Amino acid sequence: MSFHPHTEPKWMRTAFIGASIVFVGVLILLPVISVFTEAFRKGVSFYLASISDPLAMSALRLTLITAGVTLAANLVFGLAASWVIAKFSFPGRNVLLSLIDLPFAVSPVISGLVFVLLFGAQGWFGDSLSRHGLQIIFATPGVILATIFVTFPFIARELIPLMQEQGAEEEEAAVLLGASGWQIFRRVTLPNIRWALVYGVVLANARAMGEFGAVSVVSGHIRGRTNTLPLHVEILYNEYNFSAAFAVASLLALLALVTLLAKAALEWRIRAEERPAVMEE
Amino acid sequence: MAIEARHVSKSFANYVALRDVGLEVNDGELMALLGPSGSGKTTLLRIIAGLDTPDPNSETVVTVDGQDILDRSASERRVGFVFQHYALFRHMTVFENIAFGLRVRPRKLRPREPELRRRVNELLDLIQLGRWAHHYPSQLSGGQRQRVALARALAIEPSVLLLDEPFGALDAKVRQELRRWLRALHAKIPVTSVLVTHDQEEALEVADRIVIMNQGRIEQTGTPDEVFHHPASEFVVTFLGNVNLFHGRSEANGQAARMFVRPYELEIERNPSNVSSVAARIQRIQSAGPMVRVELTSDQYEAITAELTHDRFRDLSIKTGETVFVKVRDARVFQAANI
Repeated sequence: MSFHPHTEPKWMRTAFIGASIVFVGVLILLPVISVFTEAFRKGVSFYLASISDPLAMSALRLTLITAGVTLAANLVFGLAASWVIAKFSFPGRNVLLSLIDLPFAVSPVISGLVFVLLFGAQGWFGDSLSRHGLQIIFATPGVILATIFVTFPFIARELIPLMQEQGAEEEEAAVLLGASGWQIFRRVTLPNIRWALVYGVVLANARAMGEFGAVSVVSGHIRGRTNTLPLHVEILYNEYNFSAAFAVASLLALLALVTLLAKAALEWRIRAEERPAVMEE
Repeated sequence: MAIEARHVSKSFANYVALRDVGLEVNDGELMALLGPSGSGKTTLLRIIAGLDTPDPNSETVVTVDGQDILDRSASERRVGFVFQHYALFRHMTVFENIAFGLRVRPRKLRPREPELRRRVNELLDLIQLGRWAHHYPSQLSGGQRQRVALARALAIEPSVLLLDEPFGALDAKVRQELRRWLRALHAKIPVTSVLVTHDQEEALEVADRIVIMNQGRIEQTGTPDEVFHHPASEFVVTFLGNVNLFHGRSEANGQAARMFVRPYELEIERNPSNVSSVAARIQRIQSAGPMVRVELTSDQYEAITAELTHDRFRDLSIKTGETVFVKVRDARVFQAANI
């Protein structure tokens, strides 16, 4: 039995399309619009004052620093992990593969708590850290660590299936032609995975800037020091400062929009690069 | 340059790929490694290339041109390698694929751009794909891709050329053409070559000599004529083409013996011409092809396949369902001792 799109009754198609539009409109578009209308409820000057508030600016700065460091770290770890998993077989390979998925499986709050248990004052390494005057929990390093943990799977999960599908033959061909390890990575492996890599980075970035749960646990909510944008929004909201909360939230929404545009531009590039169909003799 | 390998063994986690194998390829020779899948032929090729390492053993030696290469990395061995699935760099044009081996050389050994272009264009002419220089591999047919892969391997002026089932992924007609083209190319550029294949016809047609492998061991080494007409073991006989098996006893010593007869070595007669002729019933006649194939059954030997020329078939004018007599013209006999 098979379904033919043209034989579906017209009313059914209309109903499905209509339902989709209503669904997206109510659950996705409406909230985004409300963020911006609430943000401007008290006027443009209040909006500008809210987002240029020193505390908001410091939250923005921390969010950008965290996202930057997280992406750099996950780029290196994600590439390395995908490389060994896709191109080699070794004992413990499946364990590693499952571990990479772990951050997707556990609640972000638990992820945050794990770091408190490890590096907090009462944690496993708490004593030795304080003896050396190092603070991780309730400080920027903790925020960054928690964010790296939560976003780790994005890049690796994008790369592994692609690298597995491509296999190791091109790399083998390159080594036999005399290429060094770096030349192989630079000239063969990287160009073959570049789009998947950028796509993974875009997704990881969106999550890194928006992460709330894990960061909330490790940050300690110190205003002007360990508050990221999402945490700052929460504080403002809890203080009944709704318009300021929405103004800062609109900043996050704008960052997300930039990320989405980057993703759309990327997809457009990929489509433009796709070559004519394969020709067989 | 000559290749020599001695006492090479290789075991993987759950099976043994090579059991103490030795191989000698003369300078300028085209050698085929022939065997079924799992016989170890590809593993041997990958060990020569440096993509796999043999099991550690102080007696193991692999030399090219008399020099031990086992302690050299794959990138230092300067072997040309052609993969079954081409392994072309998918994001590079045909030109850049061929130029890759020259571009990755250390600065001192790297040819200058005009010299590099000249050499790549020469190779493009050799594979008759000059028009395709700026296309990507995905735009080429399988046969064209494999020619590019070969040019890419030749660009580094390899000491030896290793081909791993190079025609395995191509359809029959292209395979035939490419086989002949490879033979002509080898006559023009006689670089010592080892070709892995599971296709006995391909090995017999292309190679100067053939190594027949089975279950990690070498069954026989020899010219196509030698292995075909004087097979050293039952495996070689059965692997090199269709064959009828008859069980019997040796006339000399009465021991159990097995007789292998190729279909064209059987004669079909209307009347028995001597005592060894066997009565058989014709089950099927297939006359589309260079020879007429006749499938028969007899009480004694079950299925028998015979091949006769179209002339002989017309003279006999036999039909399906008739009973005829089958006589052995030529055969190879193996006694129980060497089974």
